Amino acid sequence: MDAQLLQTAKSLDPAAQALTQRMRDNLVAIGKHRDENAFQDFYAHFSGRIKSFLMGKGMQESVAEELSQEIMLIVWRRAESYDPDKAAPSTWLFTIARNRRTDYLRGNSRIEVELDDEMLEVDSSEPTQDEQVGLSQQAQVLEMAMNKLPQEQRQVLHLSYFRGQSHGAIAKWLDLPIGTVKSRIRLAMQSIRSEIKSEEI
Amino acid sequence: MNTLSHHLTDETLQDYSAGVLNAPMETLIACHLTLCPSCRQRSQLADAIGGLSLGDEDAVAMKASASDILSLDKTTAQIDTTPPPIEMQLQGVPKPLARLLPGPMTELPWKSFGPGMKQFNLGSQPRKEGAFKLLSLDPGSRMSKHTHQHRELTFIVSGSYSDELGQFKAGDIADLSADHHHRPHVDSDVPCISLIATDAPVIFDGLFGKMVQPFVGI
Repeated sequence: MDAQLLQTAKSLDPAAQALTQRMRDNLVAIGKHRDENAFQDFYAHFSGRIKSFLMGKGMQESVAEELSQEIMLIVWRRAESYDPDKAAPSTWLFTIARNRRTDYLRGNSRIEVELDDEMLEVDSSEPTQDEQVGLSQQAQVLEMAMNKLPQEQRQVLHLSYFRGQSHGAIAKWLDLPIGTVKSRIRLAMQSIRSEIKSEEI
Repeated sequence: MNTLSHHLTDETLQDYSAGVLNAPMETLIACHLTLCPSCRQRSQLADAIGGLSLGDEDAVAMKASASDILSLDKTTAQIDTTPPPIEMQLQGVPKPLARLLPGPMTELPWKSFGPGMKQFNLGSQPRKEGAFKLLSLDPGSRMSKHTHQHRELTFIVSGSYSDELGQFKAGDIADLSADHHHRPHVDSDVPCISLIATDAPVIFDGLFGKMVQPFVGI
């Protein structure tokens, strides 16, 4: 992608970019200074979306309300663990919400990678400076890449994240062979990755 | 450290990110991610897509206000989500698996299911919901040719095996879907210990395989 086109792409949606930056600043301010105004702003933007996310997964309104409150309480208490160089605010929040939902539904915690493992030769190398820049721009580039996906690929991603459905259930719902659902997911992930790569060059 | 050659598919990483897999599948994925920076990076991308979709969602009105949450903070105990301390550290075993083991590999109450083949069951769910177990196969062992109804994940803890897809060594993960038939054989000098999770019982192709299936229970 040539430099000018890249510039155009980056400035595609200044409003969305500004919003991401504001939410990032909010989390940092909560983490550092327990900034209540920053929390108010973060809450106003995200709490109703978290609730919608949980209800989309078939949860009763009252339960979704209660869990959303807990999730926002976790945001308030753990904002200092947010690293703005590593993830977009929405990514950080999404993983908290997903994990809290899993804990609630399953009664045991989601199982995640543990890199503090002295019994293994773990390659926990951090991304290089260049990759860091890539990460901080990732949200914007990712949004562009998602917008370019064919409708049928966006649809399966949406059903998966928002209806919490397995690929098998999505296939049934859309009346498609499971192989088709999987290949749409695969194609979507591939084009998003190649889009991000071409942006980073 | 060794470079890994077999990785998680995009479909599996995306399912993991969306939070639709069961705990056994998550355990295998977390074991591989511990050792594989490239799958970790792809997994982070899948989470970022989840985050972005969250931003796209239309908001539903909340009953509580931000100020309510701040008062809740003063009256609610800390929610402790740190994983429980591990019973014992095991050399070469990623923590998500080590947490589930009552002792070192050599001291587990293995159950033999054939010459040179033994298993240790980790799952308590009924068989129709899939298996979750460690398999230890002696050098030279061969599994019967089989396929799966949905998905089978195999994480290699130690030793190695080969099948139609190539050689699988410690840290590799075999991420197989229903359309794949394979017949693994152990090609290491030491027993090949692998952790497997299926979301539906394995289907053996041959008559012998069908006969041993109730005993193997995978």
